[in-house]
Amino acid sequence: MAELLLDPQIRLWVFLPIVVISFLVGVVRHYVSLLIVSQKKSEITQVQDNQVLIRARMLRENGKYISKQGFYIRKHFFNHEETGYFKSQKRTTQPQNPMTDPTLMTEMLKGNITNVLPMIVIGGWINWMFSGFVTTKVPFPLTLRFKPMLQRGIELVSLDASWVSSASWYFLNIFGLRNVYSLVLGENNAAAEQDFAPGMMQLGGVGPTPPIDPKMAFKAEWEALEICHHDWALANVECDILGNQVVESSIQN
Amino acid sequence: MVKTKISKSGEITAYSEVAFRNNNALIEFCRTSACALSGCTAGIMGLTGLQGFAFYFCAVLGLWCLLLLKAGPSWEKYFVNRIHLLTNGFFGGLFTYVLFWTFLFGMVHVY
Repeated sequence: MAELLLDPQIRLWVFLPIVVISFLVGVVRHYVSLLIVSQKKSEITQVQDNQVLIRARMLRENGKYISKQGFYIRKHFFNHEETGYFKSQKRTTQPQNPMTDPTLMTEMLKGNITNVLPMIVIGGWINWMFSGFVTTKVPFPLTLRFKPMLQRGIELVSLDASWVSSASWYFLNIFGLRNVYSLVLGENNAAAEQDFAPGMMQLGGVGPTPPIDPKMAFKAEWEALEICHHDWALANVECDILGNQVVESSIQN
Repeated sequence: MVKTKISKSGEITAYSEVAFRNNNALIEFCRTSACALSGCTAGIMGLTGLQGFAFYFCAVLGLWCLLLLKAGPSWEKYFVNRIHLLTNGFFGGLFTYVLFWTFLFGMVHVY
């Protein structure tokens, strides 16, 4: 396989700019999404329902650390046939259609603006501006199957599969930099959130998850709590604590 | 929030979920840095093919050893499982590594 000789100007004017652009676009996207994101207003019943669900879950997980009486009092508060919270609270289900709810539509639109639009615009711009360059070579051999993935924009049959074209180098950057964003911008940043594969950029919104149906959630939690029984983890805690003390004091003496 | 684990002798250890998550985030931070740095090193040294992947494995192993050294003999206070410390995010890190490796290899050796 003959080595290609690339013009060093390509490194300065194509290879390096693509890295810088794809990194800075991620940073800009993070801050733009911080700017236009709106604080969600939540209704009081919804918050109440969420808190109750969290309390029930914690009771299920950590109920073994409280006394048997305490556990069953709490369980009855949630699950009693007539007065239990999950039984007595009647929540109506409001079917939410994202197409008719204007707030959901706006959220979806914002998600599209920060995620999909830069992808298309910047990707198209990179394709147009830096098209047709062989930019670099991956330092490991690859099979021919990778050719269409790594050499988008240059159709050369005889070129070795490990050479990378400029458009594909951009995509490699987008994927590889995702971890770096979390390093630079902190956890939970908007730049690393986007989830897509090249060639599969769909216009479907990355909208917020619709609120869960409280009726179904109550029923599921009620069932889970119903089969949960008290299993005291601290049954012989006195033995453990006192036993250790006895041993230690006997050693000291 | 409390996470619990029952050891072989029947003792129950409770973990604080917040601290647990914080530790994991810090480990992720270290891992990304180590991947990026080792990728740069491999690229500048001009490693190719299997050598480069072997280098990545050495780097991850080295990071694991350093983390265990830092945690000391009481690592059980900070992490539930030692092996997960090694294997978590192995392939995600590989992506970062390959990117930096390719980048500096291209900068230094291709042109």
